[in-house]
Amino acid sequence: MLELKPMPEATVTPGVPKLLQEGFYVRFTDLWPDTLSEVKGKLFQIEKTNQVPYDISRIIPQSDYCDIDLSNSSGAENIYPENTKTLYETLIGFKPGNYLVHFYIPAGEYLHRLEQTGMVPDVSSTTRKYLGARKPEDSPYDDKRIFSYSVKDLEPLILRTYVDTGIDYEKVVIGLLVNKCYLKQILSPTAEQMRLAKVIQYYTELRW
Amino acid sequence: MPSKNVDMTTSPSVLAAEKKNAKIIPTLLMVDNALGSQDAVLTLIDRFTTSLTNGQAATLKTETRLAINVSELACVSLKDELKDLEFLGAPEVAVATPDGSCKVSMAYHYK
Repeated sequence: MLELKPMPEATVTPGVPKLLQEGFYVRFTDLWPDTLSEVKGKLFQIEKTNQVPYDISRIIPQSDYCDIDLSNSSGAENIYPENTKTLYETLIGFKPGNYLVHFYIPAGEYLHRLEQTGMVPDVSSTTRKYLGARKPEDSPYDDKRIFSYSVKDLEPLILRTYVDTGIDYEKVVIGLLVNKCYLKQILSPTAEQMRLAKVIQYYTELRW
Repeated sequence: MPSKNVDMTTSPSVLAAEKKNAKIIPTLLMVDNALGSQDAVLTLIDRFTTSLTNGQAATLKTETRLAINVSELACVSLKDELKDLEFLGAPEVAVATPDGSCKVSMAYHYK
């Protein structure tokens, strides 16, 4: 449900679409919870799409952070769908600056950690603030490489934006491109449709 | 590329409005004090409001980004010297002694 697509090592012609397109298949794994039964273990075809850009900015002092909640919770940024038949494919990119971004879903639970005890992101640690952190150059504003997938009532995805030392204040600008995908369920998918479908994992599958 | 000219009758004077999703990068600063009645002691100020963070409430801040003293009867332009200068909020120019004969021009772009 959160992917960093690295720079390609080669180009192909004709090019491969970066975003989900009309007619594409998506399949949600069986590990999605029962509370999200509208999508759990199901295969859908995308009927229509619409791309909506949006920018979020914060000005933060050095060695301080701000949590940006992309969900539709009160006070959050409202970047989640409200319709059970909608999937949001959200591309996340950053304008240059002296800052780091940690991802949490839900609040307080790190998305990127290592297996050794204590090897978790921590902005109050001089070393572990760099653990699991994405830097602006990892996903530039004009070439967004972080993809997140959300459906109605998914737990909130939190971006902890931390301004590193060495600058009094920094302006953090996060560019979003929300690819709204309207889904139609395929009730009896063929093996070929299953093979072609993009698999959308539940966030717990990214932590083991 | 936008630009703006102000005279230093009032201090500080706003050189550009803040843009929420971008920083302002000055590319040219020209100070015409040829008709000025005294040395122009100028500062470029960055005025912005911080966000509510883990450690602090939202606060209005003013940070001095550049200070320059332009002699009476002089005209100065800065271009390369502005490299790496950026404003998070609205750039303003302030002068020690207001003088309508001192003109300040700034060209800029957004990043």
